[in-house]
Amino acid sequence: MASPAPKSPEQSEKNRKYDRQLRLWGDHGQASLEGAHVCLINATGLGTEILKSLVLPGIGAFTIVDGKKITDEDIGANFFLDSESISKSRAQVATQMLLELNPDVRGDYVDEGPEQILSNSPDFFNNFAVVVATALPEKAIILLSKKLWELDIPLIICRSLGFVAHIRVQVREHTVIETHPDNENPDLRLDKPFESLKKHMDSINLEEMDLKDHSHLPYSIILYKYLDKWVTEHGDLPKNYKEKQELRESIRSGIRIDEHGIPIDEENFEEAMRAVNTCVSRTTVPSGVMEVLNDDRCINLTAKSSSFWIIAKAIRDFMENEGLGLLPLKGAVPDMTADTEKYIALQQIYHKQAVADAEAVWRRTLQLLRQLGRSSDSISEKDVKLFCRYAGDIHVERGSCIADEYDSKTTNANEIAQSLENPESMMVYYVVLRGVEKFQAEYNSYPGEFDDHVEPDIVKLKSCISKLLGEWGCGPLAKDDYVHEFCRYGGSELHSVSAFLGGLAAQETIKFITNQYKPIHNTFIYDAVTSNSATFAF
Amino acid sequence: MGSDHTHRRWSHLQKVLERSGPFCRPDFEPSSETLKFLMENCKLLVIGAGGLGCELLKDLALMGFRQIHVIDMDTVELSNLNRQFLFRHKDIGSSKAEIAAKFINARVSGCNVVSHFCKIQDKDEAFYRQFHIVVCGLDSIVARRWINGMLISLLVYEDGEIDPSSVIPMVDGGTEGFKGNARVILPGLSACIECTLDLYPPQVTFPLCTIANTPRLPEHCIEYVKVIQWPKENPFDCAIDGDDPQHINWIYEKATERAAQFGIQGLTYRLVQGVVKHIIPAVASTNAAIAASCATEVFKLATSCCASLNNYMVLNNIEGIYTYTYEAEKKDDCLACSQVPREIEIKDPNWKLKDLIELLCERSDLQMKNPGLTANINGKNKTLYMHTVQSIEEKTRENLQKTLQDLGLRDGIELNVADVTTPNTVTLKLKFSQTDVEML
Amino acid sequence: MIKLFSLKQAKKDGESPKAGTQKKASAAQLRITKDINELNLPKTCGTEFPDPDDLLSFKLIICPDEGFYRGGRFVFSFKVGPNYPHEPPKVKCETQVYHPNIDLEGNVCLNILREDWKPVLTINSIVYGLQYLFLEPNPEDPLNKDAAEVLQNNRRVFEQNVSKAMRGGYVGSFFFERCLK
Repeated sequence: MASPAPKSPEQSEKNRKYDRQLRLWGDHGQASLEGAHVCLINATGLGTEILKSLVLPGIGAFTIVDGKKITDEDIGANFFLDSESISKSRAQVATQMLLELNPDVRGDYVDEGPEQILSNSPDFFNNFAVVVATALPEKAIILLSKKLWELDIPLIICRSLGFVAHIRVQVREHTVIETHPDNENPDLRLDKPFESLKKHMDSINLEEMDLKDHSHLPYSIILYKYLDKWVTEHGDLPKNYKEKQELRESIRSGIRIDEHGIPIDEENFEEAMRAVNTCVSRTTVPSGVMEVLNDDRCINLTAKSSSFWIIAKAIRDFMENEGLGLLPLKGAVPDMTADTEKYIALQQIYHKQAVADAEAVWRRTLQLLRQLGRSSDSISEKDVKLFCRYAGDIHVERGSCIADEYDSKTTNANEIAQSLENPESMMVYYVVLRGVEKFQAEYNSYPGEFDDHVEPDIVKLKSCISKLLGEWGCGPLAKDDYVHEFCRYGGSELHSVSAFLGGLAAQETIKFITNQYKPIHNTFIYDAVTSNSATFAF
Repeated sequence: MGSDHTHRRWSHLQKVLERSGPFCRPDFEPSSETLKFLMENCKLLVIGAGGLGCELLKDLALMGFRQIHVIDMDTVELSNLNRQFLFRHKDIGSSKAEIAAKFINARVSGCNVVSHFCKIQDKDEAFYRQFHIVVCGLDSIVARRWINGMLISLLVYEDGEIDPSSVIPMVDGGTEGFKGNARVILPGLSACIECTLDLYPPQVTFPLCTIANTPRLPEHCIEYVKVIQWPKENPFDCAIDGDDPQHINWIYEKATERAAQFGIQGLTYRLVQGVVKHIIPAVASTNAAIAASCATEVFKLATSCCASLNNYMVLNNIEGIYTYTYEAEKKDDCLACSQVPREIEIKDPNWKLKDLIELLCERSDLQMKNPGLTANINGKNKTLYMHTVQSIEEKTRENLQKTLQDLGLRDGIELNVADVTTPNTVTLKLKFSQTDVEML
Repeated sequence: MIKLFSLKQAKKDGESPKAGTQKKASAAQLRITKDINELNLPKTCGTEFPDPDDLLSFKLIICPDEGFYRGGRFVFSFKVGPNYPHEPPKVKCETQVYHPNIDLEGNVCLNILREDWKPVLTINSIVYGLQYLFLEPNPEDPLNKDAAEVLQNNRRVFEQNVSKAMRGGYVGSFFFERCLK
């Protein structure tokens, strides 16, 4: 009998199906996704594109809210309707077709418009993880935004109009532990070595090493040695380019020479010189993280505080006590040219300290839970470890209520006015999109929707925009180009524009659900004519 | 039937194609004929029916295109299903191109997607020449370089100027995790794949001595098994197949042993698969956005309804959403697209190869020293003569005395000539002045 | 702005009166032609092209005239792929050699063959790199650890082992085929 192959959890069917995305957000991100229930309002082409990119990666469940019946125009822009479905419920057909994409996902629909639901069943939205809405009229945007702001549920409003599309996210507070920054700085503590690191460093004597050991020493040890020397001589770390250059030269002088007086090729010393830029700086708590730790929500925990804030407070307590003013150690060591033994020994030292730091934070977390009268299993040690590993890059997103933009007393008029002065700014799209919404509210159609009304609609749209600009205290638009262009669109939905925005809006939804990656802050505008985009904060 | 393009279903497209606007290209003429052209005449080729390809087919079909071909040599795998939305579990093992084509044709009535279940290299110039625009959703640099070379070789020059009717625009998309890019290439006119080859990061490789003797990372252990241990022990009597779970298991076990031996942490099955198969993380959302951006560009090229992307866009949605567009520069010395074939007039068809080489050395505009000559004859590369490499010189010396015709060098054939006097191999086109050139 | 007049004309399959009739050589092909034509070999090196029409596959023969390996004849196979010069050629040593940087399977540890390859490098750069390996075997970063240790600890024994291997015979438990010129 052949011995059974070791069973690996990675080989399950589900793991294989989701392999390519598990490499991005991990098993814990996937678990969050599978536990989430998302609501889509209006199964337009854009709406189903958003859901498609949520159903495929395995969102737990979705509900479509849409009271419309399918028209010919719908078929032309929406892949999840077909010509047999004309005049059927748009919510129903889209739900069926989207469910075909992934048997792991549950889906249902409500054959009613959002306004009806808001007035008839006010508790309808209470249990969604995120609500996404497309093609909403102004009035519904305001109602929905207020409702979800109150419920503290993230809302994503999207629109696709001709070649232009936009996303506005609304979230009261959103916390992110894993921001996955592109360039993460190593946490080596060369300037403030912890005890076991200092002991290890001090046990090494560069001068006495034979060449083989000398050229296979991890660069961080070399850096430590020369930095230590520098600090002894100068009383401080090298601060500017010139001083860093001097440190580099001093490292260079440590390269061994052969019998002909020619420097030997010591890759590790080269690496040490290159690392001066990234690894020689004072170890501190980054200002963004400090802000989070000093946030009122962190300092004054309540019985209702989320795990994020409780662990943040534990880290703050750690920092103020055994952490000696620093965050828990990350514990990861970048790869360095070295022999296995020396590298692993160094790695172990960092790893052990990181484990010890995380344990200290864990003890403090338990203490806080006790003080708050919460059960000790409401936060897992795993979560604390994860937080400690990424503590240097945590992020808190605070948003604003969309309804505020529709009230001239609370809208961010200054930002609009200033941006409009810059001819390159894409703020003009925001203004015209708002104008289009106003037009719709007043005339119950899109500007330019009917072929024989394009010219008069241009005039009407212009006046809608002027009214808005007047309310905000802004001057008139410099050019009418955009007014003409939006009337040309006549409310059309171009599928490729919707598909572009749909992918991105789905990604923002996933960010909210997994608490990974930073979401947009908070308005994103895309122009497919120029392939440009911009982000504005309202 | 004939008035499909006037149907209400297409009213979205009709608005932007039948109305003019301030951002249209100057040569844009609003007309219902444009949509008719998209539906009836405009022939597209989608290369790849994977993550981008599935999206592209859907996007193009809903942007009014109907004459679409799709080519892909791959079959559906389980790990495709998290994003390649035209495939279902029951399709695993079937041709991606065929399943995708069938699905689109069934869903979007009137659309006519034709599938090709083969390698792009299996098709010839005549095949590629039939298309108005080529869109690529590829994950391979080699394939991109190949199709790039193919489209450039279809260019027709007249007096050193490109005949615009021979330009087949190429729209290319690529993704990796939450990042992606889309670009428009007008072969011969704007930066091509070869011009910007350094945009593709080289594959991560580790020094052989590190993986053999001083491994530090789990990746080093996996590479060791892959590069050294597998060829040595040859456990299954074949090359590594990343899709064979037995192979991955074997590598996983051996790499685990090696990691334990060196005290290296963090070796997982997922990592083994990733390293062995060079897996690039992929997610539905990024693919959707990049493919959509490519489809928009195809629509712009085909309709002139607004100016094309000039010529490169990057997308990154790790921190918020960030896009950036810029003009990748065409390289004057690009090996692929700067090659305007120069004509060499051959006055006497009985000329020998040595006469031709003498001409290359004597002509005042060439003044070559030791040109090495190759040509592609009947689809096969042939080395005509190379003076500088002894073993080749010996084997090709006899060609010097042969006439050009005996060597198979007909009128219009292109010679690739390498010489110290030029930074790159140059292409020279033979023109026989006394033969009867077929004029059509 | 470029106007593509042709776009709105219907294309006809496989027919184009003016078009060239041949596929152009690939960029990889053009580049390797240049590399090969410009090979500037040291006198200790030679190339062998089994098929002169195939410039992508050839052998390099190195016969060192100084150092430990003087008098030996070492054959390397080169395989240039379609992604050249984005990716380096694959090079293997076909002669069994007792060398700290070449293992008994013919793997060669030369930085420019893997991690330090750059498209500006040429076949010539690799030839010089390989030639250098025979002049200055590097025991610091070995592939054949045993050979490296001997070289580091006792150059005389290393020298003897090299000539034993080149003459054909056992070094330790491994039998080397004769490879003297």
